[in-house]
Amino acid sequence: MTLGIAFIGILLIALAVGGISYSQASRLRGGGRLHSLPAYHALHALIWVLVPTLLVLAAWAPMQSRLVDQAVLSSPEGQALPDFEMQRDTILSEARQIAHQEIAAGFNPESTALAPRVLEAEQRYAGIGGIAAILIALGTAGILLLRRRGREFRARTSVELWMKGLLIAASLIAIFTTLGIVLSLLFESLRFFRLVPISDFLFGLSWSPQVAIRADQAGSSGAFGSIPLFWGTILIGAIIAMIVAIPLGLMSAIYLTQYAAPRVRSVIKPLLEILAGVPTVVYGYFAALTVAPWVRQLGISLGIESASSESALAAGLVMGIMIIPFVSSMADDSIAAVPSAMRDGSFALGATRSETIRKVLLPAALPGVVGGVLLAVSRAIGETMIVVMAAGLSANLTANPFESVTTVTVQIVQLLTGDQEFDSAKTLAAFALGLVLFLITLVLNLIALNVVRRYREAYE
Amino acid sequence: MNSAAADAAITRWTGDAMQSRLRKRYRSERLFKLLGLAAVGVSLAFLAFLLGTMLWKGMGGLTTDFLRMSDSTDPELAGVWGALKGSFLTILVTMALAFPVGVLSAIYLEEFATRNRWTDIIEVSINNLAAVPSIIFGLLGLAVFLNFMHLPRSAPLVGGLTLALMTMPVIVIAGRNAITSVPPSIREAALGVGASKMQVVFHHVLPLALPGILTGTIIGMARALGETAPLLMIGMRAFIAVPPSGITEPATVLPVQIFLWSDEVDRAFVEKTSAAIIVLLVFMLLMNALAIYLRNRFEQRW
Repeated sequence: MTLGIAFIGILLIALAVGGISYSQASRLRGGGRLHSLPAYHALHALIWVLVPTLLVLAAWAPMQSRLVDQAVLSSPEGQALPDFEMQRDTILSEARQIAHQEIAAGFNPESTALAPRVLEAEQRYAGIGGIAAILIALGTAGILLLRRRGREFRARTSVELWMKGLLIAASLIAIFTTLGIVLSLLFESLRFFRLVPISDFLFGLSWSPQVAIRADQAGSSGAFGSIPLFWGTILIGAIIAMIVAIPLGLMSAIYLTQYAAPRVRSVIKPLLEILAGVPTVVYGYFAALTVAPWVRQLGISLGIESASSESALAAGLVMGIMIIPFVSSMADDSIAAVPSAMRDGSFALGATRSETIRKVLLPAALPGVVGGVLLAVSRAIGETMIVVMAAGLSANLTANPFESVTTVTVQIVQLLTGDQEFDSAKTLAAFALGLVLFLITLVLNLIALNVVRRYREAYE
Repeated sequence: MNSAAADAAITRWTGDAMQSRLRKRYRSERLFKLLGLAAVGVSLAFLAFLLGTMLWKGMGGLTTDFLRMSDSTDPELAGVWGALKGSFLTILVTMALAFPVGVLSAIYLEEFATRNRWTDIIEVSINNLAAVPSIIFGLLGLAVFLNFMHLPRSAPLVGGLTLALMTMPVIVIAGRNAITSVPPSIREAALGVGASKMQVVFHHVLPLALPGILTGTIIGMARALGETAPLLMIGMRAFIAVPPSGITEPATVLPVQIFLWSDEVDRAFVEKTSAAIIVLLVFMLLMNALAIYLRNRFEQRW
């Protein structure tokens, strides 16, 4: 809390210094042209007071909590705590919550006695940190005000350098995010592969991650063969969904770009885009509630007794519909990129519209369409909610679309929801599945983006 | 001699062979057009059927009580207010983080970056991040924000952070497109009267590109609003009967609430789930309509 007050104090100091610099610079204006506008003088002062002080404050905050813990543990009440580390930590965190009045009383009686010590130590160290930060702010403010600037002072150049730094920092966040994904997945996966051999995971044919409660129970290790999961993912996302999405998406793109009148197109295209905007959880609910029972009926009427109400077909069909606008807009773009000279040439030779489309436009647009389809596959195999709600949990290795299969994403959700202990093979397996999923989609995306880009360049 | 006569018969316009071939070509032409129309029709019919089903099943549950109450085990008392509030707080965090970072990095990449290896790496990672499955972002949030930084579980803060990482690339891509569509003559004129590079960008290019950036941002936000999977990973699936009052308190969001209700055995929850879906779709449609309005209102052809 006191750090908050210190922060407000620093802000006020910075604003005051900024204001003084502004008026100083404005007064200089009487003697001739300034290099930088007074506002830049003010910003320059503001940045130089705020940035160093806030960095110090940000470094102090985590240090403070460690110092507080040490002080509390070395107090007489802290000395009396049990030596067992985990128990001590729970008591400490309870005491912290009581001190901040988040809970009235802790589960452990010791924590109530500890709470005033926590408060005391926190106030002491926050006071030290806050006063130090304010002193630094005052120091930089003094230096800035003592060094009086002339008309030639390049405040704007300095401010713009800071701004450029900010821009670079913002664009580096994308790299850090990618790095964070790779490192966190890799790190947890390595811990998983210490428990389960990597070959068992990649090539095993049976998946049943139930780890027994007691280590000496029979079959306590579970089976972590991921082949059935990847087969289920491919069956739903890359086969059934694409059988639906590619013809429908491609034909709607052709109809909208080649046949439909501009007025019709301007109405239908946004409507198709709504299909892409509907949240996946809605599709999932619809698939489970309406489509799945139909598919089951259909399966039984076809004489397939094992038709499941959580069939691969229901999830795949709905996923395919969801992907249609995506395929359609990619195909639309690639067909539009084909030079009109090719189309006109074909018409001039007497070909009909459909002949032109089939024999000239589609072959020319093929790389772009293939790239779009690859991106669509990458999206379909990473799709989660539809399969969580409409596909099953049993890891079957079957090609029958009326049976229940499970996918990688379903299992990740299944493994990570509910009770979590963070070291069990069960939770770590989710990260290993995530790593493989990430790598597959990465490769698909890179190939697709490359194909699309090279195709665009070819016609430019 | 014989073959030449046959050729003439085939190529004569009024000949039977030619006429039947023409008929065949016209037939296949009509068939192809019909196929295209059918493809569009199937997609639209599915959309209409989906919306119709939800309206039919959920309209009865859409009462003012439903909008005022929070989650409950009793379907009679369950409402969406808590989830709506959670969604609002989460989107607020997402917006506050993703918008500035996305716009700033779009500006850097379009206006300042020189083409070198670093820029290529940034570009590839942004394009790839935009296509990474959302559940992977959930795993990232779980590993980094919860297990490493020990932020509170199932809080809008963590949900917003996770969704911000997911939406940021979308905003960058939209921002770059908007910035490139500002004609170079604007930049040259500003430079010509003595503005610095930074002043050109922030005083002239950015205001002109802003409608395009906002359109992209709203579409990205609408996607984040409907997102479920990453939020399940960071524990936003708890039973929350009290609406959250801050971004560090346990909360749930509308799509997750729909998912939780869809799992309930009680048949009365079917109506609740469909009603919640209607509420969610109304919000999505409003956001998309706003984006389309902005695009049409402020779009400039140079």
